Amino acid sequence: MKIFAKLYATLRKFAPPDNELGEFFEVEFNGATISDLIEQLGFTPEQARIVFVNDSQTSDLSSTLTNRDRVVIFPPVGGG
Amino acid sequence: MSKVLRINMSDLGHKWETLPKKYETLAGRAFTSAVIHNEVDPTCHPLREKNKFVIAPGLLAGTMAPSSGRLSVGGKSPLTGGIKEANAGGLTATRLGYLDLRGVIIEGAPPVETKDWYSIYIGKDTCEVKKTNDYAGMGLYELIGKIWKAYPSKPGIIGCGIAGQRLHKGAGVFGNNVENTDPGRYAGRGGLGAVLGSKRIIAIISDASSGSRPEAKDKDRFEKGRKAFKDALDNHALTGRLNNEKGEPYGALKNYGTNVLQNILNEAGALPTRGFRTGRFEDAAKISGEAVHDLVDKTRKKFGDKAEGKYGHACHPGCVIACSNVVPYEKTGKAHVSPLEYETAWALGTNLGIGVLHDVAEMNRICNDLGLDTIEAGNAIAMFMESGLIDFGDGSAAIELLKNGYHPESAKGALVCSGALTAGETLGVCRIPVVKGQALPAYDPRPIRGIGVTYATTTMGADHTAGYTIAAEIVGIKGKVTDPKAIDKAELSRTFQATTAYIDSTGYCLFIAFCVLDDDSGFNGMLDTVNGFLGKDIDIGEYGMAILKNERAFNKGAGFTAKDDRLPEFFHTEPLPPHNVVFEVSDEEIDAVFKDM
Ligand code: SF4
Repeated sequence: MKIFAKLYATLRKFAPPDNELGEFFEVEFNGATISDLIEQLGFTPEQARIVFVNDSQTSDLSSTLTNRDRVVIFPPVGGG
Repeated sequence: MSKVLRINMSDLGHKWETLPKKYETLAGRAFTSAVIHNEVDPTCHPLREKNKFVIAPGLLAGTMAPSSGRLSVGGKSPLTGGIKEANAGGLTATRLGYLDLRGVIIEGAPPVETKDWYSIYIGKDTCEVKKTNDYAGMGLYELIGKIWKAYPSKPGIIGCGIAGQRLHKGAGVFGNNVENTDPGRYAGRGGLGAVLGSKRIIAIISDASSGSRPEAKDKDRFEKGRKAFKDALDNHALTGRLNNEKGEPYGALKNYGTNVLQNILNEAGALPTRGFRTGRFEDAAKISGEAVHDLVDKTRKKFGDKAEGKYGHACHPGCVIACSNVVPYEKTGKAHVSPLEYETAWALGTNLGIGVLHDVAEMNRICNDLGLDTIEAGNAIAMFMESGLIDFGDGSAAIELLKNGYHPESAKGALVCSGALTAGETLGVCRIPVVKGQALPAYDPRPIRGIGVTYATTTMGADHTAGYTIAAEIVGIKGKVTDPKAIDKAELSRTFQATTAYIDSTGYCLFIAFCVLDDDSGFNGMLDTVNGFLGKDIDIGEYGMAILKNERAFNKGAGFTAKDDRLPEFFHTEPLPPHNVVFEVSDEEIDAVFKDM
């Protein structure tokens, strides 16, 4: 299936080099869950602190994705 | 024995006092709020002789504890009419720590007919109030250069700019940076710059060249705690070191600064855009911390040693988190502004629909030069946009508007320096984002309700730092996120507000919270530094609540009631896209935060 992924901050190095900051890139996804996607992108679940699937924040990395889902992942970030 | 310096601007005299016993454990915000509560008539006019301006370094300022050199300034706020503590980095806190000064209390005011301007020089056992009319009316970048030439010992400098000298309510208190080249370290909020202006003071210069590092009462405990705490900060993915073993970016704050939040709030749909109309900004990424990081790298590549852009920059000596930055000009690689914080990038960018990094940096620089709080200034400009006088997204018009602030004869300039409420009401705007007269910062309270409860209830007027529930509601603590849309937020906000009041007193930067909330060894290390320094244990919750009690009591005396602990009406009635929610926390829940005070 096709997933649209967006990575920020220290995770950006796992996005394709031509991916513009703040834009989705397409992933030909062979797995089922958010964890699988994280693994396929090349980092670990610990590095994925804040995850949004189709605009909703989720902390359950075992939830399954469906075709054309939009997944946004951040490492631990904060400030203010 | 720590001392207190009291300066009377009515007769330009001063005296040194021994720290009263009841203030023994009080420093930073605990000290400023106690003095304001005990000594200032809450009904007084904030810009006349009965108000006081109190300066207090955090408890550990000047010690080797990591990220502990923050400064508190306090007074009755001309913006809110209530008590105010504003907090910043810079050099002054560590210098005052070296001078063993727990606080400087400035009271009185020169006679109203005075045309003279003064500056205060504080050294080891010396204090002078000097006439410095040549410091008046100039931009702060120029002023810093001038003071630096006169005092080559790298003193701490705080003071007010043109906005404060003209008694505008949006005026912040500037501070010099570690390099002593720049006035960008702001205790920005609440118009305290105008309180200095009302006392005819432009600069306060703290010279610690013959001072010495403050010492802990229990040195072993302090040292043990310091090491454990520093390790925890260094290893946390948020507060940690610049790169990992592979040389890749590691610590989020060091690499991207606080403005790493721009994208996350955008993705969360809680980034207030174009005057709090939507929760997403299509150009957020372009003015985000990641964009600044990329620009710094790009200009370093192009200009080599001549490039002045930076990330991982410390706002005071000894900060290991170093979330500050220097934004370079793309064309020359030279420094444009330092720092560009999340709140500023939001206030002068997203909030105005301006997605051009250069324009945002330029407005930040003008605010720093005029002596203006960027959050208040950005929200005031938004009022001009709301009223249709200029368009959302028009960067050049916004820059021109802000520049009016330099001209004493410009009514627009006076308005843009007077805060969102005054600007909004004058321009006929009826959706003005303020609480207790102070403009909201960069988190929309409709989809993130805990921060809304903090905005409503803090003694400070809308202030995210007063009880930063975002740490629980977006970032998560120990991997657990508290649902931002839940409506039972009283307890969350109260706990955060009390803990924050404690942190604001220790000298520690609020951003240590991300690490200590996650990591128990960091938390215990932090406690050991504070308790080891004092030589006795204090309870975080009790200490924090005692501060809030003083502040609530002052505000009550100033006439505040429950109806002041409310968000503006439009947050209850206008749903915020994309989640299309309004602020749903009940008044009862809000009043439960401080039900016993
Ligand atoms: S973390 Fe940032 S704001 Fe806090 S003390 Fe360090 S540089 Fe300053």
